[in-house]
Amino acid sequence: MQFFEQLVNGLAVGSIYALIALGYTMVYGVLKLINFAHGDLFTYGAYLGMTLLASLALQDRLGVGLGLLLLALMVMGLVAVIGVVLERVAYRPVRNSPRLSAVVSALGASVFLQNALMLIYGARYQVFPDLLPQTALDIFGLHVPLLRIAVVLISVAMMAVLVLFVQRTRLGAAIRATAIDPSAAQLMGIDVNRVIRLVFVIGPALGGAAGLLVGLTYGQISFTMGWIYGMKAFTAAILGGIGNIPGAMVGGLLLGVVEALGAAYLSVAWKDAIAFLVLILILIVRPSGLLGERVADKV
Amino acid sequence: MKRTLTVLALALGLSSAAPAAAADPIKIGLLAPLTGSWASEGQEMKRNVELQTAEANARGGLLGRPVELVVEDDGGDPRTASLAAQRLTTSGVVAVIGTYGSAVTEATQNILDEAGVIQVANGSTAVRLTEKGLQHFFRTCPRDDEQGRVGASLIQKVKASRVALLHDNSAYSKGLADEIDALLKARNVNVVFFDALTPKEQDYSAILTKLKAAGPDVVFFTGYYPEAGLLLKQKRQMGWTVPFLGGDAINNPDLVKIAGKEAAQGFRFLSPPIPSDLDTPEARAYVAAYQKKYGEAPSSIYGVLAGDGFRVIARAIEATKSVKADALRDYLVGGLKDFPGYTGKISFNAKGDRVGELYRVYQVDAEGRFQLQP
Repeated sequence: MQFFEQLVNGLAVGSIYALIALGYTMVYGVLKLINFAHGDLFTYGAYLGMTLLASLALQDRLGVGLGLLLLALMVMGLVAVIGVVLERVAYRPVRNSPRLSAVVSALGASVFLQNALMLIYGARYQVFPDLLPQTALDIFGLHVPLLRIAVVLISVAMMAVLVLFVQRTRLGAAIRATAIDPSAAQLMGIDVNRVIRLVFVIGPALGGAAGLLVGLTYGQISFTMGWIYGMKAFTAAILGGIGNIPGAMVGGLLLGVVEALGAAYLSVAWKDAIAFLVLILILIVRPSGLLGERVADKV
Repeated sequence: MKRTLTVLALALGLSSAAPAAAADPIKIGLLAPLTGSWASEGQEMKRNVELQTAEANARGGLLGRPVELVVEDDGGDPRTASLAAQRLTTSGVVAVIGTYGSAVTEATQNILDEAGVIQVANGSTAVRLTEKGLQHFFRTCPRDDEQGRVGASLIQKVKASRVALLHDNSAYSKGLADEIDALLKARNVNVVFFDALTPKEQDYSAILTKLKAAGPDVVFFTGYYPEAGLLLKQKRQMGWTVPFLGGDAINNPDLVKIAGKEAAQGFRFLSPPIPSDLDTPEARAYVAAYQKKYGEAPSSIYGVLAGDGFRVIARAIEATKSVKADALRDYLVGGLKDFPGYTGKISFNAKGDRVGELYRVYQVDAEGRFQLQP
C-alpha cells in the first residue's frame, strides 16, 4: 500500500521536474548551452503568480477554474517575456564566443534574477492564498490528495501539447532542424534567431507554469527555491538525454519516482544520493542518457 | 569661480573639522546572514541591532563616544563567514554580535578569538562551540543539550510510547535529534523512526508517508520553520492526525502562514520566551519601539537575542569603562548577574554559555497565535 502512495508522491514531484527539465533540454538542443538561470525563471513564475493572484483576484471575479486558467496564461506569458529578454541581453551577445563565456553569463544572470527578487519581495518566505480544495481520494484504501493527481495530469497535458507542436507543425520542424545543425538550417531559409527566441518563449513559459503549480500546491515559495528544483530538473534532463524532449519528461518522472521509492525503502536522508547513484549507473550504461541518441563525432 | 572655491573650501573645512570634534567611535561588528537562505533571520538581526545602536547613540553613546555598527554579511555560509570575520577584525571592532547558524559561527570563532575580539553569538546552539576553551566567545541563546533535556521531558509528558525523530542533517538539527534520542533510549522510550529530510524542498509527502507507516504516537521535528510549516500542511492534506512537536528553530510566525491555521493548530515547540511574553516594562517598551520603527513587531526570537548580545556588550563597556577584550570578558563572566535582557535574565558561566532555564513550551492556538504553556 505504501508503494502505490509513494508512486503517486513521486509522480507528482517528478512531473514538476519534467516541466522544468523541458526548458533546459530545449535550450540545450538549439544552443548547446545550459541555461543556469532557468531555475530562477521557475521562481519568477511562482512569485508572479502570487502577486497577480493577490492583486487581480481573478478567482473571485471569474470563479476559481476560469480565474486560474487566465492567471496561468498571464504568468506563462510574462515569464516568457523575461526569457526572451534574458536571451537577448545575456546570451545573444556571447553566442559566438567560447562556450565558457555563455556558461558564466548564465550563472551571472541567475545570481542577478535571484537577488533582484529578494530586493523586491524581501527575504522572507512568501505564501500563496489557499484556493484549492485540500480533499483526498480514497480508493482501495489508498489515500491520495486530489491536488497531486491534478498536478500530474496538468503537466502531462502540457507536455503532450509540446510534443505535438514540435513534431507536427512547421515551426516545430524549424526547431528540430536548428537543433540538428544551425548553419544548415539557416541555409535552408530558417530564421535561426527567431527559432531561438521561440525556444526562449516555450521553455520559460513551461518553467513559469511549473512555478505557479508548485505555489498553488505547496503554498510556500522563497526566492531561492529555483536552485534546488533547477538542479533536479537539470539532472532529469541529463538522465533522459539532454536535447531530447521526450527524454526530459521520462527523466523527470523517473527521478521523482526513484526519489520517493528510495526515501520509502532505503533512507530518507539518502534520498538524493540514491537518485544520483541511479543517474550515474544509467549514464555508465547509456552515456547519452535514456533516450539520447548516439551521435558520431563530427570529423 | 572664486565664490565656488570659497564654498568648496568652507565645505572641506567643515567636513574635516567634524570628526575631530566628536570622540573616536567605538566600533561594534554584526555578523549576520543578510543574503542566502537564512536571509530573513539575518535581516531581523540587523534591524534589532541597528535599533539598539540608534538608542545607545541617542543616550549619548558609550563612555561618551558614539557607537558605530560595522555590518558584515556571512551569507549563511562558513567560508563567506570566515572572510567576513577577518574583515571585521581589521576594521577595529571591539566586539562582534553573531552569527546565526552553528557551523557558520564555528568558522569565525578562532579568527575573532585570536584577534582578541569578544563574540556574542545569537543563534548558534551546537554544544561544542563553548567546549573549546575559547576565552572571548559567548552566546545569548541556550545550548542544544539543554533543549534536548526539555524536549525529552515534553515527549514523556505527552505519554508517547512510539516516538519518531526527524531532523534535517544540519549540525544543529542532527545534534538536537541525537541528544533527544540518547535521552529517550536511556529512559526506555521506544524510538521507532530516526531519519532526516532534505531542507529547502517543497514536497515532503514521501517522508510523511514513510513516517506514517512507522506508526508513531508523536513526531518530534528538530529542523526549521519553513520545513515544519510544509510538514504540518502536507500532514493535514494526507488526513493524518498524529501530534507534532518541534525545536526552537520553529519559533517564527511565518510557520502559521506556511502551514495555515487549521494545520498549525495544536503544534507544540520549545523556545526561549518571545518578547511579548516578558512582563517587564523594558521588554514592552522595546517591542513598542521596534513596532514604531519597522511597522511590525519583531518576528524572530534570534533577532531579539542579537539585540540582547549588543546590550550585554554595551553594559560591559560601561561597567568596565574599557574596550579591552580581557576586561570585558572578566566582567561578562564574573560581574554580569541577572542582566534584564529582552529574552529573560542574562548571566554567563565561565564557558561563555548563558545560564538558567530558558526554554518554555509554546502551543499554536486556533487563531494561529503562539501560547505560552504553563
